[in-house]
Amino acid sequence: MRPFAYDRPDTAAAAVAAVADRPDAAFLGGGTNLVDHLRLGIADPGLLVDVTSLTSTEIVDIDGGLRIGAGVTNADLAADPRVRARLPVLAAALLSGASGQLRNMATTGGNPLQRTRCPYFQDPASACNKRVPGSGCAAIGGATRNHAILGASEHCIATHPSDMAVALAALDTQVRILGPDGGRTLAFTDLHRLPGDTPEQDTELAHGELITAIDVSYPRGRHAYRKVRDRASYAFALVSVAAVLDVVDGTVLDARIALGGVAHTPWRAVRAEDTLRGGPATEEAFAAAAEAELADARPQPGFDGGNAFKIPLARRTLTATLRQTTPRETA
Amino acid sequence: MKFSINGVAGSGEPQPGQCLRTFLRDQEHFEVKKGCDAGDCGACSVLVDGALVRSCLYPAVRADGAEITTVSGLGTPEDLHPMQQAFVDHFGFQCGFCTAGMIVAASTLDSTDDLPRRMKGNLCRCTGYRSVRQAIEAGVRGDPPRPAPGCGVGDSPNPPAARRVVTGTEPYTFDLAVPGSLHLRVLAAPHAHARIRSIDTSAAEAVPGVVLVLTHENTPQERYSTGRHEHREDDPDDTRMLDDVVRHVGQRVAAVVAESVAAAEAGCRALVVDYEVLPAVVDPEEARRPGAPLLHPDRTPADRVDEAGRNVVLAVHGGHGGDVDAALAASAHTVSGTWRTSRVSHAQLETHGAIGWLEDDGRLVLRASTQVPFLTRLELARLFGLPEDRVRVHTARVGGGFGGKQEIFAEDLVGWAVLRTGRPVSYELSRTDEFQRTSVRHPMRVGVTLGSTADGVLTAMKVDVLSDTGAYGNHSRGVLFHAIAESVSVYRCPVKHVDAEVVYTNTVPSGAFRGYGLGQVILGVESAMDELAIELGLDPFELRRRNVVRDGDPLLVAQHAEPEPDLVWGSYGLDQCLDLAEEALARGNGVEPPPGWRVGEGMALALITTVPPFGHVAHAAIHLEPDGTYRVDVGTVEFGNGSQTVFTQIVASTLNTTVDRIVLRVADTDAVAYDTGAFASAGTAVAGKALHGAALDLRAQILSRADGVLERDGVRTAAGLVPFAEIGPLTGTGAEFGEQRSLSSNVHAVRVAVRPETGEVRILQSVHAADAGTVMNPEQCRGQVEGGVAQGIGSALYEEVLIGEHGEVLNPVFRTYRVPQMADIPDTEVYFATTSDTLGPYGAKSMSESPYNPVAPAIGNAIRRALGARPYEQPFSRDRVWRLTQPRIMEP
Repeated sequence: MRPFAYDRPDTAAAAVAAVADRPDAAFLGGGTNLVDHLRLGIADPGLLVDVTSLTSTEIVDIDGGLRIGAGVTNADLAADPRVRARLPVLAAALLSGASGQLRNMATTGGNPLQRTRCPYFQDPASACNKRVPGSGCAAIGGATRNHAILGASEHCIATHPSDMAVALAALDTQVRILGPDGGRTLAFTDLHRLPGDTPEQDTELAHGELITAIDVSYPRGRHAYRKVRDRASYAFALVSVAAVLDVVDGTVLDARIALGGVAHTPWRAVRAEDTLRGGPATEEAFAAAAEAELADARPQPGFDGGNAFKIPLARRTLTATLRQTTPRETA
Repeated sequence: MKFSINGVAGSGEPQPGQCLRTFLRDQEHFEVKKGCDAGDCGACSVLVDGALVRSCLYPAVRADGAEITTVSGLGTPEDLHPMQQAFVDHFGFQCGFCTAGMIVAASTLDSTDDLPRRMKGNLCRCTGYRSVRQAIEAGVRGDPPRPAPGCGVGDSPNPPAARRVVTGTEPYTFDLAVPGSLHLRVLAAPHAHARIRSIDTSAAEAVPGVVLVLTHENTPQERYSTGRHEHREDDPDDTRMLDDVVRHVGQRVAAVVAESVAAAEAGCRALVVDYEVLPAVVDPEEARRPGAPLLHPDRTPADRVDEAGRNVVLAVHGGHGGDVDAALAASAHTVSGTWRTSRVSHAQLETHGAIGWLEDDGRLVLRASTQVPFLTRLELARLFGLPEDRVRVHTARVGGGFGGKQEIFAEDLVGWAVLRTGRPVSYELSRTDEFQRTSVRHPMRVGVTLGSTADGVLTAMKVDVLSDTGAYGNHSRGVLFHAIAESVSVYRCPVKHVDAEVVYTNTVPSGAFRGYGLGQVILGVESAMDELAIELGLDPFELRRRNVVRDGDPLLVAQHAEPEPDLVWGSYGLDQCLDLAEEALARGNGVEPPPGWRVGEGMALALITTVPPFGHVAHAAIHLEPDGTYRVDVGTVEFGNGSQTVFTQIVASTLNTTVDRIVLRVADTDAVAYDTGAFASAGTAVAGKALHGAALDLRAQILSRADGVLERDGVRTAAGLVPFAEIGPLTGTGAEFGEQRSLSSNVHAVRVAVRPETGEVRILQSVHAADAGTVMNPEQCRGQVEGGVAQGIGSALYEEVLIGEHGEVLNPVFRTYRVPQMADIPDTEVYFATTSDTLGPYGAKSMSESPYNPVAPAIGNAIRRALGARPYEQPFSRDRVWRLTQPRIMEP
């Protein structure tokens, strides 16, 4: 690990100013991702600005939902009675990710900003446009089972690893941000970006912008989170689905769906939602929604047959998750 | 900053960027272990203000004002926390390296609902989790302590270190403060194959704190092998401490020794290396084709490299009984297939490493994480040009090995750096170093063709093996010989033929690993046997019974017509193992498959010799003290195999004493004259036998001084008790040379459910029957079987070290390399055959490696029967299994 400076300012504004001032500065939240990257040698900040005690660790009621301070740990968020009762898709996603030890450390602000687990990104010796822009992408044609089938570019086929972010993408979520020029709010679905030709940028946050809180509205309907992975626990999703379906008398009034493990972003399944909305909550409709969402999916070639298996896997997992949100008598 | 650790107030300033784990260890809280330093394994778990965290990712500065609790704060050896007591009572550890973090995590539980999910943050590589799960359940319930068990042979006393292990007070290799120690770190090669034109060390030497830079220009250049055996000629001399040619990504290029780890790392970054990149080969088939890049072109058969011009380290071609192809053509039935196995990491939670220093008289001392202290001493003395008695190698408790520490991966650099600087030097590998720079299980391609009569009697066996040893040949020859031995000789068959080669590739080296190659070839043979059973419409157990060697049969490998002269059937238990496994599977366990899943049953068998060929040596001594204490000296290493427990049982039984009167000194070249080491499952069969000899010798000496009945406090004679003060001191000695070998057998059977839509495999019932002869310690031996089965399940379903097109390891961390977790491993029913071996002490046989061997083929056979399609490539991961369910067009 290379030497770096460490700063622990007294206010969030001071932290933002400190990072904005130095191009090689970074915020340090729970540290579960960044500390690992420092040790792997793939992050090399000159200054770490500790923000864990600078943002709220409270979850407060707001009109129709919750405001979750960026400093709230994943463990506290998953255990909150309001989250468990009104946002079960979020609680389930949190509990399916990481270990208890990590959830006690990881924060609400940091979790959505964790970086891809693409093995080539994590290996300093491999070509990676995300780590070293312009160096190429060693993942293409390599070990691609954890890589994207939607929205990838010729420069990057990485996926976003967070479970929590998949649930937040499905919900009506706003991100509250503090920057050098003041505050702003961004829809959560606008936070992450597709790789395009600038895969080094994971999000729309500018350097020095800090997430201070996340606002989530309570949706109507039944929730489900389903994660398919290589083993029973402690693995990143091959495919995950967060869904909230509001079905009344067999008709889908509203659908909120996001996919994980398939794209550079937590993938909001707009096409599937549009297909379902106003229609019947039937097995056929679910299959059609999954079909529509994955119509543009493209497999990545690679070792051992590449990741073509993920397309039918995503389709079936999406269908099965929608089935799970629907009371048996109407399905 | 101020903090409290286990209730004791402290203060101190962490270094910039320091994590809590290393900060706590700097305060000599060595109970906080490093398994991965990446937040995956949980060995470093501690409580910060009551919250369970991974201290390896926790910035130390955040502990300002905090109350920190480690496993040593929960209880002490004299006053255990209920969870610690439960881990003792339920044998919830083997090597014990994960235990500190496991117990801290478990201590936070108030419920055992969904325990596998709650405990997913803690990895154990030894136990297979059944005992851990039972310990946690008992700890959460608050069960009262187990009554003290008996301590003789056949009882299940706890390991002597148990109360220390569960409180974090049993030291491992690095749990020792060495004042003034320097730190060594290694620069890793970025290329799969390159010649080093030059290394500019000037900038590195100028880094403040750097004391010494080692390159191929200032280290011994004699070739040796990292793999160690009783006979050094078993392995090829193809490795240099630091070489001017790098042959795999991650190979050591240079070492920097400095006053701090940070300075050593900065020194490594400051090295300027000019490489001439050479063509590389990563595919073993390509490697032996004409024109392939050659890894060791100058090595010769005198170096134990058979055909360096084809990258072939060892070739075994031969048969007996006639022309195998003609015999196959004449057979009523034939089956054939080709199986592939993966690179597997040992993933023992304690990484490799060593600390070295000079004694006052200048003798070099190494404290290393090794299974072979004596063999390491021999080779280092040779390499450094020192007399053997000027080097001492010893171990503390070793945090897991599985064969991976039957190698020299750190001791050479540390020893040389100590000799050069005259100061203590410490070198601890990281988890990523483990993946890139130590060794893996040899991946193999195994082709098997079987012929049989219409009645299912084997007529011909043809085996074709290609093994990949990676960049260096450590263990490659022995592993290949072993791979094609008991896998083939277990069957009576008139015509056998083998073509087997092991080749170099520009990848991480392969090495010794539990089962020593047998598991890979057994996958092929036992899967082919299953195909034959299907073809014949015969029960797979019945097909085995018709063909396995019987008691007293000669064991014939393919390449010789003569049996090996040192093999004897000390006892025969294969028939019982087949019966026990078959009956248990037929009984079932009531676990139902989920709706829509397909179910299949599978089985496989394995045979293994109890000792390696050509000798395995152990010396032992027992000193009787006047107060009735027995001081026991044994050379072999405790690394979770339970050998120390068995040693105390042998002494307790033979000398009619109790464990509290026994003091062990083990794993030290100063302890006894010589010991080959803790490998080849030799702990009980060889070292235990030497110790049994010493105990019998001492007993005879005692009784020659006082004729009567040996008791705990003396000898009971007609005239009353003669206390030991009037008899001792006395010393009994024993030795064993492993000149004869017996055979252990194992049968594994499973019932699995497979979900066709996703390829998910769930093991509904897992059954293992083993012939261990006399079972010295049933609870411990059960644990060895369960642990071997768990590693077998890992290989079968999850584990694969992935190699990129340039030979680099793609998943060098536990987050992407999938060591099974609690949720992945079902309970296994363990059954022991009732036999008594004529060779082993008290009739015991080895039972450490062999349980691994039949597991993957049993699972593959069950998947085959569930789906009607066979998986040929290990691991049988979900996508591979799913692909079996798809139309052919989906095949790559």
